[in-house]
Amino acid sequence: MILAVETSCDDTCAAVVTDDGEIRSNVIASQGLLHARYGGVVPEIASRRHLELIDAVIDDALERAGTGMDAIDRVAVTRGPGLIGALLVGVSVAKALAAVRRLPLVPVDHLHGHVVASTLGDKPIEPPFLCLVASGGHTFVASVEDAGSYEVLGQTLDDAAGEAFDKGARLLGLPYPGGPEMDRLAKQGDAAAFDFPRSLPGDGLDFSFSGLKTALLYRVRDLGEEEAGRRRADLAASYQRAIVDSLLTRARQAIEREGARRFAIGGGVAANSELRERITATCAELCVELWVPDRSLCTDNAAMIAAASRFTPALDYPEYLSLDASARVA
Amino acid sequence: MNILGFDTSTAATSVCVLRSDGEAFAVDPEPARLFEPPAHSRELMPAVAAAIDRAAIGWGELEAVAVGVGPGTFTGLRIGVATARAIAHARGIPLHPVSSLAALAAGIGESPALPLIDAKRGELFGAVYSGDVELTPAFVAHPDQIPARAGERASGALAAGDGAVRFRSVLEAAGIRTAPGDSEVHVVRALNVCRLTHSVPAESPEAVLPNYLREPDAVPSQ
Ligand SMILES: [Zn+2]
Repeated sequence: MILAVETSCDDTCAAVVTDDGEIRSNVIASQGLLHARYGGVVPEIASRRHLELIDAVIDDALERAGTGMDAIDRVAVTRGPGLIGALLVGVSVAKALAAVRRLPLVPVDHLHGHVVASTLGDKPIEPPFLCLVASGGHTFVASVEDAGSYEVLGQTLDDAAGEAFDKGARLLGLPYPGGPEMDRLAKQGDAAAFDFPRSLPGDGLDFSFSGLKTALLYRVRDLGEEEAGRRRADLAASYQRAIVDSLLTRARQAIEREGARRFAIGGGVAANSELRERITATCAELCVELWVPDRSLCTDNAAMIAAASRFTPALDYPEYLSLDASARVA
Repeated sequence: MNILGFDTSTAATSVCVLRSDGEAFAVDPEPARLFEPPAHSRELMPAVAAAIDRAAIGWGELEAVAVGVGPGTFTGLRIGVATARAIAHARGIPLHPVSSLAALAAGIGESPALPLIDAKRGELFGAVYSGDVELTPAFVAHPDQIPARAGERASGALAAGDGAVRFRSVLEAAGIRTAPGDSEVHVVRALNVCRLTHSVPAESPEAVLPNYLREPDAVPSQ
């Protein structure tokens, strides 16, 4: 049984997962509200909060799994990428827990976790497959030939899709984190009311979202505060439509170019209801089987880290004692 | 009692096992290590394992953990505290949160002692000790404000620590004696963290947090 720990950004997470991918517990202590007044994640505040919560979150994960450390035979932890101070809390705890019991430790690439989240549960996806990962920090399409690795086919050249949601939401005066708020408001608006750019840079599968938020900024300014406030739902719906259109275009191109038969989505933006609906329709139209993980497996979580750890070589004691976190590449 | 102690409040990592027979097995950094980039994550656990091995005890024979809770480098303190908590929690043994300034003072060997830890941004963390007794509680101040913050009880005190080395000229201009630059007394030694468990009661591991002594830099957006 695997105990996994994830502290790369602002959620303190621990999970217990069996070797064959059954989720026994998946605990997520979100810090969202703590950072709300700053309009974004403050690294030092996030790191302090992780340290306050981590032991309780791990205990909670073990308890909900109906087990204890005695049943754990492997510890997995996010090594990167992410906020270095935040990552180090999880890495330090995981190393110490593993060392005391001389258990193997698996350092996991956070993005690998998002890519293979759909390998968990009753109906696990099997390679080869393509995966669209869209979150506040990352947006890319990857090809998975075997579950132990992935090849990035295209990625955002500037903002991540989740960042575009958060920044757009802020321009519309919605509270942080903006993604879920935008999703909710967009349901009441007309997505065709405003025309926002769908930027698809180059001939490949890259993304770009930085122009979109500028377009929204200008549109809000042109409308004036009062009118923009009155038409907020239309703005949200149109803006969200532009983001989802870009993601879907690249997903479709990737599927056609690679001749994929299986497709998965992951990352916090994969919790967006319009994306979930429309990717379902697109995959149905292309006769591609689609995996849409539960929302709790899309946003940052430790179960996906456990998932990736099943396909990552473990380090034995004492090899991992000098393991460091890595802000960029894992 | 076999005590494992460590300190990560400065750029250096210091670890010690104080065995129940009184023998100490320390992994101490050279004073020069205080002025190199920190690498607590890479250094701490290997040093812990080395100290335990050299003491010829097993992880299962540890009976208490003591950790320097700062003040000092935020990331370093979190690595130390997270590690100490996890070990104490997993083994079900007591955890003693020890002031890094008290441990630094204990190594100065003079009374009064003025331990000074570099707080970055041109500031110092400091306190005044006579033996184990804290005369002036921990503070953060600019080097030229140290005499005022330390107060009269610091008169004649010997200063040491990475902060004392870094700001030696400012401190000496203000009439504060500092230990020689290459002296080992500038290192927060884990042996002193272990020894201070006598005067610092254990706390439940999940309640132990760093003494940051400074608020995070963050400006509300609205
Ligand atoms: Zn993520």
